[in-house]
Amino acid sequence: MTCDSILKLIPLYYYGELTADEEERVEEHTHGCPACTRELVQQRALAAALDKRRMVAAPMLLEDCRSDLIAAIQGGAPRVAPAVMGPWRLFLNAMAASWSGVGRLRGPVGALALIAIGFFAARLTDTTAPSGTDDVYSTVRSVQPDNAGGVAISLDETRRKVVQGRMDNANIQRLLLAAAHEDNPAVRVESVDLLRSQSGSTEVRDALLNVLSQDTNAGVRLKALGGLKPLAGDAEVRKTLRRVLLADDNVAVRLLVIDLLVANRDDNMVGMMQGLVQKENNNSVRLKLEKALKDMNASIGTF
Amino acid sequence: MAQDAAGTVGARVSPQVDSLIRAAQAGDQDAFEQLVRTYDQSVLRLAMNLLRSAEDSRDVYQEAFLRVYRNLHAFRFDCSFHTWLYRIVTNICLDQLRKRKVRKEESPTIETREGPMDRMDTFEEEAAHADPERSLWNRQLKQRIESALEDLTPRERLVFEMRHYEGLRLRNIGEALGTTEEAAKNCLFRATRKMRAVLGDFT
Repeated sequence: MTCDSILKLIPLYYYGELTADEEERVEEHTHGCPACTRELVQQRALAAALDKRRMVAAPMLLEDCRSDLIAAIQGGAPRVAPAVMGPWRLFLNAMAASWSGVGRLRGPVGALALIAIGFFAARLTDTTAPSGTDDVYSTVRSVQPDNAGGVAISLDETRRKVVQGRMDNANIQRLLLAAAHEDNPAVRVESVDLLRSQSGSTEVRDALLNVLSQDTNAGVRLKALGGLKPLAGDAEVRKTLRRVLLADDNVAVRLLVIDLLVANRDDNMVGMMQGLVQKENNNSVRLKLEKALKDMNASIGTF
Repeated sequence: MAQDAAGTVGARVSPQVDSLIRAAQAGDQDAFEQLVRTYDQSVLRLAMNLLRSAEDSRDVYQEAFLRVYRNLHAFRFDCSFHTWLYRIVTNICLDQLRKRKVRKEESPTIETREGPMDRMDTFEEEAAHADPERSLWNRQLKQRIESALEDLTPRERLVFEMRHYEGLRLRNIGEALGTTEEAAKNCLFRATRKMRAVLGDFT
């Protein structure tokens, strides 16, 4: 074989992509050809240089990707674009324009949550700079015609404000804590995700524990777990983690809880895990429990 | 040699993965999550090595598995799940690389007080070397490698990196890209030539 044809085969030879016959021919040729031997050496050097830039995805990144995916599937994408104004809203705006002073009307869906948020927002105006215009939402409670041809309309008004501030601002944190209980799972995911960075505060920690125990959306619970990671050694957190491991119906949540518990071992875990491994239905969770017990030199069964 | 957790690279669907897919197709959320966990590390690793940006890799991950979620009902077991998944992943990665080629938006290096550094060196990968001369040489070599990789076509780069970093067979890479093993071999050869030409005496 000529040097030219061997040169074409050298990368494939290096990566083991040649047939046995071709490999033999390359080896025979390079044995007696210094130029092609040098090519092979340089191929190895190139591969070694490339190995130095090999990236390893951080475990946290993988967990974040998994949480985002589950949140997107179960609770709507975490980053939701604002909805385009629909015909109903356009109609209400038109009503508001012709009924000056009454304000814009809106259906009562989520009214209580809006009122709670609005209450906080109203108190924040002194300390943070609200931006944009205020929106007033009204819920009609009753309509009473009178005998003189008029009408008395009773309504609840809710004002929407845009409040901006830094994450370490106590008022912003209170708003986020309130938003972590909103009806919309996408809002909950976003709020809990933002709160994760503030998990050093007891109030935020308790809120995350509450979300982990009670939120109906697994994506939101996974976000809360992410926030509790740095606190996995805290006794209160571990108590909740143990309870969640026994009760949560989501595999991803249970797997992550085991990771957090195992990262900070304590004596209370062994008995609980031994009991759980016997009744766990999911293979992945059971294998993880078995491995954790083995790593702790504990038996798999309770005997 | 990197292998997917479901078995040998490019193998037909293993019975375990097969049953996970069928359960996920029937709406079993846990089965879908397990299926994702079987493959997602290698998908994220490929994206990280290719794009060298945690944020972009996160986008690729999300987009790839959302497409899997939306289209899993259409998977008919006429190829391996691995091949099917990697068709999706390679399409998304190729789009990302093409966008970068056009916009040149994400330079692999950033300016620091010590001069340009690999973006990823700033928060992970190996620690700075104790020997300053060697450290400088390593940095220059890395810059050359990044620049050589930037000069490859998106397709050449994908083939090259899937072979080198993921250890995938060229036959499987060809299948994922909808082309032949021979075409993948040619791509690998061209990529190697170009890399060698740019790196010159560095290697």
